[in-house]
Amino acid sequence: MIAVGLTEVVVILLVSVLAGFIGAMFGLGGGILIIPFLTLVEGVPVPLAVGASIVSVVATSSSSAATYVRDRLTNIRLGMFLEIGAVAGAITGAFVSVFLPAAALFILFGMLLLYATTVMIRSRRLDFPSTVFPDRTATLLGLGGQYEEHTKNTVVKYEVTRTPITLFVAYFAGIVSGLLGVGGGIIYVPTMNLVSKIPVKVASATSNFMIGVTAAASASVYLFRGDVDPILTAPLIIGVAGGAILGTRILKLTPPTRVKLAFGLLLAAISILMILKGFNIPVVL
Amino acid sequence: MDLNRLISYSLRIGVLTSALLSLVGLTAWVATGYPNLSAVSGSGVTGTIASAASGNAAGLIYLAVAVLVATPVFRVALSTFYFARDKDKRYVLITLAVLSMLMFALFSGVSG
Repeated sequence: MIAVGLTEVVVILLVSVLAGFIGAMFGLGGGILIIPFLTLVEGVPVPLAVGASIVSVVATSSSSAATYVRDRLTNIRLGMFLEIGAVAGAITGAFVSVFLPAAALFILFGMLLLYATTVMIRSRRLDFPSTVFPDRTATLLGLGGQYEEHTKNTVVKYEVTRTPITLFVAYFAGIVSGLLGVGGGIIYVPTMNLVSKIPVKVASATSNFMIGVTAAASASVYLFRGDVDPILTAPLIIGVAGGAILGTRILKLTPPTRVKLAFGLLLAAISILMILKGFNIPVVL
Repeated sequence: MDLNRLISYSLRIGVLTSALLSLVGLTAWVATGYPNLSAVSGSGVTGTIASAASGNAAGLIYLAVAVLVATPVFRVALSTFYFARDKDKRYVLITLAVLSMLMFALFSGVSG
């Protein structure tokens, strides 16, 4: 039981607009901002912070996906296919997470994401490689697509490659996300972009589309456990839903090169925090 | 209507309804003088709706959360119907697989 006043509600509302904005723009849920804010700044106990945050992830995802799907930036076929891995992973994770070495996984994922950071920043000017050959799964499921790149006034056609690897990563991300409390988007976006060669904006939009489904499954658990506090959650829902709409506008107007650079910097910060946390150094995460 | 529009509208309506209910809930909370509302565990769908209908702040917000959580699940179910109508067997199977795993996670309460 925590006492929340009107001032806290207004502050949460403002912070959640920012979280929704960043979440929508980079294909993340935004929990990475909301959980530390609630626990460290507002002194909310961790289970209630995670409960409120996971509900807000559903709002960020659904609000931004509504726009991205309408604008045909989301690759809905790919998203639906990868959801098989993500949801199966989340269920597996619920059973095996107690047996997994959390510290080692933080270090392992931190280092993998740090490597992804360097690749993403170095390859930022090559967002639409012209020589991508679709693999068999991608051909069978018709996963290739196109989107309108507003900053260049062109329609970008793209193919999807190495789909099985990305599906496997989605499954593994699902397993560890419940354990690490970091998951989904921060792993899906670089994997789709760097492994399957999907343009970064499409990767972000498709990641947003996917995480709503896994977050909804997790949210129901927190709800039944009694870890969803109404007065913390209501301003989050309103704030992130609004912030997400703003984020989708800005993503549309930002050149892919800049999106990759910004995502790379965000990824660098998060992966360093993950590694530090793995070595038991107290950090915000 | 094509699938993109169907999904886009259903997600938008779900989030807007949830945000609106949250706003009404917060207003009710402010109007009753910021009472301390503790988090409660699932009181059932009918209980939540009854509580929301009586203007109870917590009831309204829990209804908002329920609508929100149902939104992506509804989106998957809607896609299954759409692909079935189009006789797109592969995607009927894909969306059915996701839907059945989601139902398992939702009703067994395993997914954390």
